[in-house]
Amino acid sequence: MPLTGSDSYYCAAAQQNYVKCKNKDMESPAQIIGYVELTIFPTVVNLNRIKLNSKQCRIYRVRVNELEAPFIYNDPTLEVCHHESKQRNLNYFSSAYTAAVSAVDPDAGHGELVIKVPPELWKQGDDLKVLKVYIEFSLDQPKGGLHFVVPDVEGSMAERGAHVFSFGYQNSTRFWFPCVDSYSELCTWKLEFTVDASMVAVSCGDLVETIYTHDMRKKTYHYVLPIPTAAPNISLAVGPFEILVDPYMHEVTHFCLPQLLPLLKHSMSYLHEIFEFYEEILTCRYPYSCFKTVFVDEAYVQLSSYASMSIFSTNLLHSATIIDQTPLTRRCLAQALAQQFFDLKQADEWVLKGISGYIYGLYLKKTFGVNEYRHWIKEELDKIVEYELKMGGVLLHPTFTGGKEKDNPTPHLHFSIKHPHTLSWEYFKMFQCKAHLVMRLIENRISMEFMLQVFNKLLSLASTASSQKYQSHMWSQMLLSTHAFLKSISNVSGKDIGPLIKQWVDQSSVVKFFGSFAFNRKRNVLELEIRQDYTSSGTQKYVGPIKVTVQELDGSFNHTLQIEENSLKHDIPCHSKSRRNKKKKIPLMNGEEVDMDLSAMDADSPLLWIRIDPDMSILRKVEFEQADFMWQYQLRYERDVVAQEEAISALEKFPTPASRLALTDILEQEQCFYKVRMQACFCLAKIANSMVSTWQGPPAMKSLFTRMFCCKSCPNIVKTNNFISFQSYFLQKTMPVAMALLRDVHNLCPKDVLNFILDLIKYNDNRKNKFSDNYYRADLIEALTNSLTPAISISNEVRTVDNLNADVRLILEEITRFLNMEKLLPSFRNTITVRCLSAIRQLQRNGHIPSDASLFKSYAEYGHFVDVRVAALEALVDYTRVERSSAELQWLLNMVQNDPAHYVRHKILGMLSKNPPFTKTTDSALCNEALVDQLWKLMNSGTSHDWRLRCDAVNLYYTLFGLTRPSCLPLPELGLVLNLKEKKAVLNPTIKPELEVGPVVDTPASIGIHGFNTMEDEDIDMETVHDSQAFIHQHLHLLERPSTPGTHTHTSACMHARTHAHHLVTHTPVLFVLLGKEPPSVEQSLLSMPATPVPSFSKETSSLASKHAGEHGHHHHHHHHEHKKKKKKHKHKHKHKHKHESKDKEKDRERDNSHAYSNSPASGRSLRSPSMSD
Amino acid sequence: RWTGERVGRGSLRGSSGKAATSPAENYHLARRRTLQVVVSALLTECGFESAEKAAVETLTEMMQSYITEIGRCAKAYCEHTARSVPTLADTVVTLIEMGFNADTLPVYAKRSQRMVITAPPVTNAPVTPKALSAGQKRTHPAYIPSHFPEFPDPHTYIKTPTFREPVSDYQVVREKAASQKRDVERALTRFMAKTGETQSLFKDDITAFPLIAAQPSSIPYLSALLPSELELQTLEETDSSEQDDQTDSENDDPGGDKENSMLPPSGVPSAKASEENVIDNPYLRPVKKPKVRRKK
Repeated sequence: MPLTGSDSYYCAAAQQNYVKCKNKDMESPAQIIGYVELTIFPTVVNLNRIKLNSKQCRIYRVRVNELEAPFIYNDPTLEVCHHESKQRNLNYFSSAYTAAVSAVDPDAGHGELVIKVPPELWKQGDDLKVLKVYIEFSLDQPKGGLHFVVPDVEGSMAERGAHVFSFGYQNSTRFWFPCVDSYSELCTWKLEFTVDASMVAVSCGDLVETIYTHDMRKKTYHYVLPIPTAAPNISLAVGPFEILVDPYMHEVTHFCLPQLLPLLKHSMSYLHEIFEFYEEILTCRYPYSCFKTVFVDEAYVQLSSYASMSIFSTNLLHSATIIDQTPLTRRCLAQALAQQFFDLKQADEWVLKGISGYIYGLYLKKTFGVNEYRHWIKEELDKIVEYELKMGGVLLHPTFTGGKEKDNPTPHLHFSIKHPHTLSWEYFKMFQCKAHLVMRLIENRISMEFMLQVFNKLLSLASTASSQKYQSHMWSQMLLSTHAFLKSISNVSGKDIGPLIKQWVDQSSVVKFFGSFAFNRKRNVLELEIRQDYTSSGTQKYVGPIKVTVQELDGSFNHTLQIEENSLKHDIPCHSKSRRNKKKKIPLMNGEEVDMDLSAMDADSPLLWIRIDPDMSILRKVEFEQADFMWQYQLRYERDVVAQEEAISALEKFPTPASRLALTDILEQEQCFYKVRMQACFCLAKIANSMVSTWQGPPAMKSLFTRMFCCKSCPNIVKTNNFISFQSYFLQKTMPVAMALLRDVHNLCPKDVLNFILDLIKYNDNRKNKFSDNYYRADLIEALTNSLTPAISISNEVRTVDNLNADVRLILEEITRFLNMEKLLPSFRNTITVRCLSAIRQLQRNGHIPSDASLFKSYAEYGHFVDVRVAALEALVDYTRVERSSAELQWLLNMVQNDPAHYVRHKILGMLSKNPPFTKTTDSALCNEALVDQLWKLMNSGTSHDWRLRCDAVNLYYTLFGLTRPSCLPLPELGLVLNLKEKKAVLNPTIKPELEVGPVVDTPASIGIHGFNTMEDEDIDMETVHDSQAFIHQHLHLLERPSTPGTHTHTSACMHARTHAHHLVTHTPVLFVLLGKEPPSVEQSLLSMPATPVPSFSKETSSLASKHAGEHGHHHHHHHHEHKKKKKKHKHKHKHKHKHESKDKEKDRERDNSHAYSNSPASGRSLRSPSMSD
Repeated sequence: RWTGERVGRGSLRGSSGKAATSPAENYHLARRRTLQVVVSALLTECGFESAEKAAVETLTEMMQSYITEIGRCAKAYCEHTARSVPTLADTVVTLIEMGFNADTLPVYAKRSQRMVITAPPVTNAPVTPKALSAGQKRTHPAYIPSHFPEFPDPHTYIKTPTFREPVSDYQVVREKAASQKRDVERALTRFMAKTGETQSLFKDDITAFPLIAAQPSSIPYLSALLPSELELQTLEETDSSEQDDQTDSENDDPGGDKENSMLPPSGVPSAKASEENVIDNPYLRPVKKPKVRRKK
């Protein structure tokens, strides 16, 4: 039963306070003043504290039912590990970070802002009367949550195109107003935004009216959102937007930045088709009464969906002349709309991500065709398989029931998957990918009709629930849990998909098959052997049915085999006697009958090709062995694009004239799916390189290209561009890129290939084309790049113009011209510049021109188009790695800290992790203490405004240093740590990190022990202990509380006096963690002085504890001093505590030495205390 | 005659420094000299023994003007009466008109002391240099009487092609277009690079491959997303040609999907705009004035 927020009524008068005076623009254009009003239905008696989420807001006053209420504001995620820890170990950080996030997790009933309900209202609370909480707040230059884009040009804010929009990774609304930042707390909304008269404020819900303020300089937008919605789904965008009402659906409104209206009109012209499609398949109307799309600059992600509106990157807009961007933009729109239907009511994330991904897939199938759809599915499957095999499993539905650290479901990861805010971005993307693939598996099992019926049922349930006035838990029906989803499936289809769910949802990892076969002629039986690798990381064992398709001379036959524990071999009877009727046509799976040249095949066997799991109904990787001619037949005659693509990748290993012929034939075949043909180009290049000594005729693909795209009369000149046929357009783009990969016997790109590409550039003529050729030209530059081979270097010779290779000179000439022309006539999305930059980097890396970072630095600066910046940054990251340049690394890290564009910051860290300057296994001069400190600071406190960025920083730290203490740090003075109290000697835990392969080495406990040994370190390490234990205590403390009667959701626990625990985190962490008892009177005394908590403690223990907590505490600086003063007094007590502490830790360690996060504050149990998960 | 005089005068001025060259000039100079001799003779007749050159020159000029005026006037009278050759009567009338007593003329001509002057040396009448003869002069068509003036020289109305037949060989055309484009681009970019800030790929020779320096812009997405003017132009061109094709080919399908998918960035039919006015969208509604009672 939701307690806060139920029918809570929020009303923000947020002002975009654009400072008018020009001089002040630079100083503070970004300011918001507002207030929030929440209506709360207490579900428990004695509701005396309310916890809300809020970050970076300055809160002026809080009133509850018109009475001033004291409050405490504390954000433990601002700085994860307080004070200078000498540990620098990621295990420690991750657990502390998880604990910090848990400590303010709204789903567990926590929050940064704790409001004490005035005692006058307690009585009222007993009667379960409504509480109205009123909070005044302001935001000044927010670093996260809201992004202000203020171009630095002359003119008013509107003329400059200044705008602001909300953004965030998962639930991040707390960054811009105080709320219950949880997906499970639904309520209705009323929103008011006062903005400059030249601006438009777009937000969720229906715009009721717009009214000028009295001075007529500003106007107020009034929105009402009657459908219960969670706070994370609320968003805002304000700017001088151009407004376009969709010509097909008048309730849909599009907004873009000034001057882009023509692009907006074109890009949105097909949105209504997507709408119609979804409404038709779901037989359900769009849940909101209106829909708004807003296109903003410097977007955080390409698309983000909120209740009744979506915010897109403005870079998705394009004109009618652009080919390549069109499908991408359509996909983005389709994805955003799919999320509108499902993604917004969240409970079990995988279900929603899965459903929206799944219906998006249906849209792809309908719009872009079955081939594209299957290609996409294969791509996604390959992606998830690759990720899981490399990084370990992705778990869709983690359960933290045990509460013990032991039950951490994903010990292989360096971050916790308990909270979205601790997830690495890449993992999150893979999570989404896997979710929709699993949804497709369910469809395979129960059929699409049933699937759609289930969705329809879920949607209509939600819509009935939402139309009700607030009644206890009706609204919770809008939340979609795994359980409800499964129940609905079994109701509709009558099928039990339990095993499927268990395999793919409750369990991580994918399946890895190895297949091989032999044909037994005597028995006319195909002996198929399917083995599995389920021991390496990211793999699991599969038991169950698997489909095998065998194409024989007499037709194609499906067989369903049972994969069981011990049976590897499967006998499949063949239908055809080996070749009997040579003349007969061969029937294919789809009923088509074709003539084949059977001379290549084994005369004794009727088998043409074999496919394992052709429908991709298992999340698997299959490595199957069959003869080269079988792959060739499969490529030529199997009509499924997935099979063709598999055949192409397999043929790379068979560089023979027959493979060459098969690939060439596919290339020429116009009925063939263009992406298959594109892939064939690259395979052909690889084969040609393997066959270089025996290759006959002109370079691969050259004559083909000439035939397809060059003039009949003069075959060396390409036709003037005409991109009417997109398939040939894509082929024309790809072939030169692939050809440039050809190498001759000296491992150089053949001269005539290079000349051919240069001619293509020279004769390129787009004057008669109605499409832009910018992507084509960009690909030609890529072809030039691909043709580069390392320069013959004469020991460390400086690269000069004079000794430039003649071919390279030609290439450089082209690149220079292209890059310069782009300044005068910029191409769409500056594609040309992007490729030129990577070409220049490639020239540098191959030693043709001197390696130099300054060019890239200038292009990476803020103020260039984002694609250009990213390309330049990629070059810089590569430069940093190759040259081991600490100056450039510093430059990059500086940008991570200071760049205005969040996407660019995120991208830099992502690229650094992908292409790291060094890794944990390699030595590098770059790896030094200062860098460790810097990165540590970055993830510890420098990225508190952006969850995603913090996770990126964690990823980078992991890539560079691993989970344990970075090897470059000096070892602590002593190898042996003497624990005086225990009279034991322990090997310093920081010394042995690499011994343990498992993820855990250092726990906070061990840190404490280590620190015991030098007096100097003592205080600090004590702090460490206290800090982490504060969290433990907090959770244990929760455990101690009696469960709340009559509540069944975790949320209810939230409001119930539990807030006390929070106090402990911030100011009074009690040390006696393992005792778990709390002094009953502390709470009251604390409450009385929320702003200046120098409470008179009734028990000495707690008072002592508070001192230390204050130490790692936070913004309340005035406490700080006090603690410092009192600290000395209590020092001995610490030691005492510490002894207890370490003793227990020791025990724990003995019990479960190898386990991850043992003793870490991130204990699952503490979160789901019995009282909460009842 | 008239033109002859003019040329004579001009050449006289010009000839002061230079030796006369063309035969026509020679001819006119000779005439002028004769006239000068005449003036000198008249002066002698009147009793002068010497005269300043400038005075003689002035008198010659006056004499020439006088004769010229007689000629011009006589011709005018003759043309006035629709003739083409002046008669004696014309001349007489002219003289009278100019205030000269024509009756005294015969007496004067027969006076005794007159000096006889040798006839001017026979120089060939100047051959009017053949005007640029371009082609055959056209004869009058049948409906124009022959007395009408002849056609002017053909060069005044005949169009003479001065270029060669365009090369229609496809390969050469493409070749030329390509190299022209490349040359223009290279020259342009080099110029921009020379006149502005540059970046260089080589440290030893910074002029080798000059790159125009990257300039951050305050609103980078505009130039990156909006089609350039050149692109718009070519698009319009292809569009118009396209549309021609289209009207030819699909007369039966006027409202095709074309409209939606290929909506030109600028062209939204005005009908749509007016239709939008009817749409009730909250964002299009006028902003309300604040109510008085709402005052806080």
